[in-house]
Formats: sequence, C-alpha cells, structure tokens
Amino acid sequence: MKTTILLCIGASLVYTTMALAADKGFVMDGTKRTITLPAPSVSLINGPGRDITSSYCNICHSLDYITTQQKFPEARWHAVVTKMVKTYGAPITEMNVDIITHYIATYYGTGK
Amino acid sequence: MKSQGISRRNFIKTVGITTALAATGTVPPLLYASERRLVTFPEKTELLLLTSRPPQLETPLKYFRELITPNEALFVRWHLADIPTSVDLATWRLVIHGNVEQQISLSMDDLKKFEKVVYTAVIQCAGNGRSFFNPPVFGGQWLNGAMGNVTWGGVRLKDILNKAGLKTGSMEVVFKGLDKAVLPATPNFLKSLPLDKALEDDIIVAYEMNGRELPMLNGFPVRLVVPGWYATYWVKSLSDIEVGVKPTDSFWVKTAYRIPDNPCGCVEPGTAPKKTVPINRMTTRSLLINPEDGSQLKSGQPVELMGVAFSGGYSIKEVLVSVDGGMNWRPARLGKDIGRYSWIQWFYPWQPAKPGNYHVMVRATNSIGESQPLDALWNPSGYLLNNIEKHNLIVT
Repeated sequence: MKTTILLCIGASLVYTTMALAADKGFVMDGTKRTITLPAPSVSLINGPGRDITSSYCNICHSLDYITTQQKFPEARWHAVVTKMVKTYGAPITEMNVDIITHYIATYYGTGK
Repeated sequence: MKSQGISRRNFIKTVGITTALAATGTVPPLLYASERRLVTFPEKTELLLLTSRPPQLETPLKYFRELITPNEALFVRWHLADIPTSVDLATWRLVIHGNVEQQISLSMDDLKKFEKVVYTAVIQCAGNGRSFFNPPVFGGQWLNGAMGNVTWGGVRLKDILNKAGLKTGSMEVVFKGLDKAVLPATPNFLKSLPLDKALEDDIIVAYEMNGRELPMLNGFPVRLVVPGWYATYWVKSLSDIEVGVKPTDSFWVKTAYRIPDNPCGCVEPGTAPKKTVPINRMTTRSLLINPEDGSQLKSGQPVELMGVAFSGGYSIKEVLVSVDGGMNWRPARLGKDIGRYSWIQWFYPWQPAKPGNYHVMVRATNSIGESQPLDALWNPSGYLLNNIEKHNLIVT
C-alpha cells in the first residue's frame, strides 16, 4: 500500500516535470491563460551612433527589425526612420534621425 | 556567413541545425542579417526567428509535408509590441457596437451558442516570400514559412452581426484585437471589411484551431478568419467589432497593406503605383516541399516529389511539374480535396536516370484559370508573391 502511494507520487512528479518542460512560458490558472515571452537579446555592431540607435528603436521593437533587413542604401533607410517618426510617432529629433540612419546604413546597409 | 555555392535555403537549414541546441529561454543574438535561428516561444515548437518583439516566427518547411499544420508549428506575426500575454475567459468579452440596433457583449459561452462552422483554410501572411523580391523591399524578410493549413472552428460573423442588428446606412465593419502600440501616438492595429464582404457565409470568428483552443500567439481566445484572403484581415485576439457608416481612416487600412490597382497587383520593379487598393484575395501558389531545394538524390533510385498548392478560395484544378527547367511539363497526382480554401497536396513520382543538376519547377492552376507567372511580379510592399519557383536537385 505504502509503496504504491509512493510510486504514484513519484510518477506524478515525473509527469508534472515533463508537462512543465513542454509548456515552457505557459500557465493555465482556472479560466486564465498566461504566457511569458522570452526576452530579446539582439545587440547591434559597435560603432558611432549605436547607442542612440539601440535606445530609440528599442522603444517600440526589438533590434532584429534592423538586423534581418536586406542591404539598403542610406536614402532608403532615411525614409524608413522618418516613417517611424511621422507615421508611428517615434520621439526622435531630426538630428538623431540622421545619426540613426547613418549608423544603420553603415553597418547593416550598403554604406551610402 | 553565406558562402558561394550554398543556396539560401540550404544555408538556413545548416544554421537551423547548429543553433537548435542554443534555443532556450532567451532569444539568441543575431549576428548576420540572413541568418534564421530556431527559437521556442510559449505553446509553440521550434520556429525560425524573424523578430522577437513583437514576435514574428516562421514555420520550417518540413511541417508542410502534412496536409494540416499543427497549432504549435503555425507561424506568428504581430504588428505592435504590446501583445496580449494573459487572457481570463471569466472577464473576456467580444463587443459588437456602432451602427447596430443594440450593442452586445459576448462571453465565450455566449459565442458557442451560435451554430458552429468548421472548415480547413490556408492562412498566409501578405508578405510571405518577401525576402525573394528582386529588387529587395523593406518589410519582414519572410521566406516561405509565413503560411499554414489549419482546420478552423467558430461561428459565422454574419450571425453575430445579425444578433446585434445592422441599422441602415452601415457600410463597413471594423475589427480590433487586444494588441496595442507601445506609444500613444502609434496607430493601433485594426482592419475593416466592406459590409457585403463581412456578411459572406464563410467568414467566421474562430475559437478553435485543429479542434483545440488557439495558442495565445495565434490570437487566443478568438480570431477572425477570412478564408481565401490574406491573413492581415484575420485579426487576432479579436475583442471589438464596430459597424461603421463610413470608411475608416485608419493607417492600417488607408495606407498600409495596399497593392497596385491593376489586375496583376504589380508595377515595374523599383517604381511606385499611381493608385492602390486594399490587398484582398490570395494569388495562386504551388511549392515543392520534399525533397528540399538543394537536396542530393541517387541516380536510378525512385523518389516521390511532393508539395502543396492553393489559391484564394478556388479549388486547384491542375499542378504541372517540370524536372528539366521548364522544357517539359507533366501533371502531378493531386491528393484528397478537402475544400476550396484548403491547400491540396501534389505528388510526382520520379526516377532520375543520370547524374547531374536538375531544375524542378511546379505550376498550379485553379478552377477559374488563375495560375503562376514564370518571373516574379513586383510591388513596393512585397506582397502577392507567387512566381513558379525553381528548385535545384543534385543527382549523383
């Protein structure tokens, strides 16, 4: 009897551990479902303008929005960063738009 | 790094394998623009990472060997970073308001009292395949994994709208989800459908994917399903339906997700369209899924090429296969037809006689004669991609 109970507890512990592993970041609590998203950990190449680029772009999205793009010239990136300000309301001054644009075009674009 | 002689897809496969073990609780940093790493998000299997905040995850092609795409493998695409991560069905409601007889507020139990509708439909991001555009365009650089074939279960939008009672003068229906922008100045994501489209029988508010609840990242508790149309309309974590008397002036309808206003939805590469319309029905596509591009085969040994074909709401009538770069075409055998919104599988037995590089091409045609262009058509937003793909199979 005692052995059976212990075996059952042992088995359910194994089962619980497996369930947790399979549902990583997911919790069901009665009628409430909650997920926990993994933290982004993208870092940009070191260079002039990197910190300004990281801090402003990171307000709204992870930096892989930059790193996964294809190679574009500076004028195209300028249009995109300007869209972030004009369309999406990013609080970036004109001077910082230029710094960000130049940084991205240099390290992730075609350079000009 | 991408080296010469390795196809893009092959490269991605290699990177995927080497980084699979690194996929843990945090998203590993991207080192090179063209890399795609496998990551695991809640309720999802290992998917290819496009962006992590908001999450945009792509389905590895191997899952398309099956007729139905599993819930945990379906792609993920959010627009704004404040996405719903916690929903309590005890308090969640779907509100229908605007130009209606009476505003209604439906719980999940209320929703399930309407007649249930179930069918299988392809869900595909408007920008699926954008990374193959030439010249390249800005936007999520998806490969071909921003699609899937899912059996949806839910209730007709029409039934819900009729319950609220449409008043005269209604012109369109606006859909909003629980996702929000980070900054108050950013336009929140919403989509609208013209009233006559919204009242079509097949448009549903879905609470089931493949017989189960939706994963949070695919729009739990309910999402709109507009079969045959691109997924931009399939609003996730739908919570608010508003009947309007005039067209919405939202950025997401008036400016974004638009295509050139002509039959091909295309313009000369590098140019801007004079007039645009909201994106709508999906173009016809066919894809080779197995063996994958760049695979090696043995001469004299039989192999079965397989893939999928689909179009925007019309059944696939024919899939033709060429194993000699487009000189000769022969019909593939089609799998079971489970409805006009589903994709259909195609199979083509082949026994390469001699060693060499073979260029395999596939072309689908639907029941109203829509097919695929030999060369990719171009538009500035990178939508509607459906050219005949050329795959390289190496026979030794």
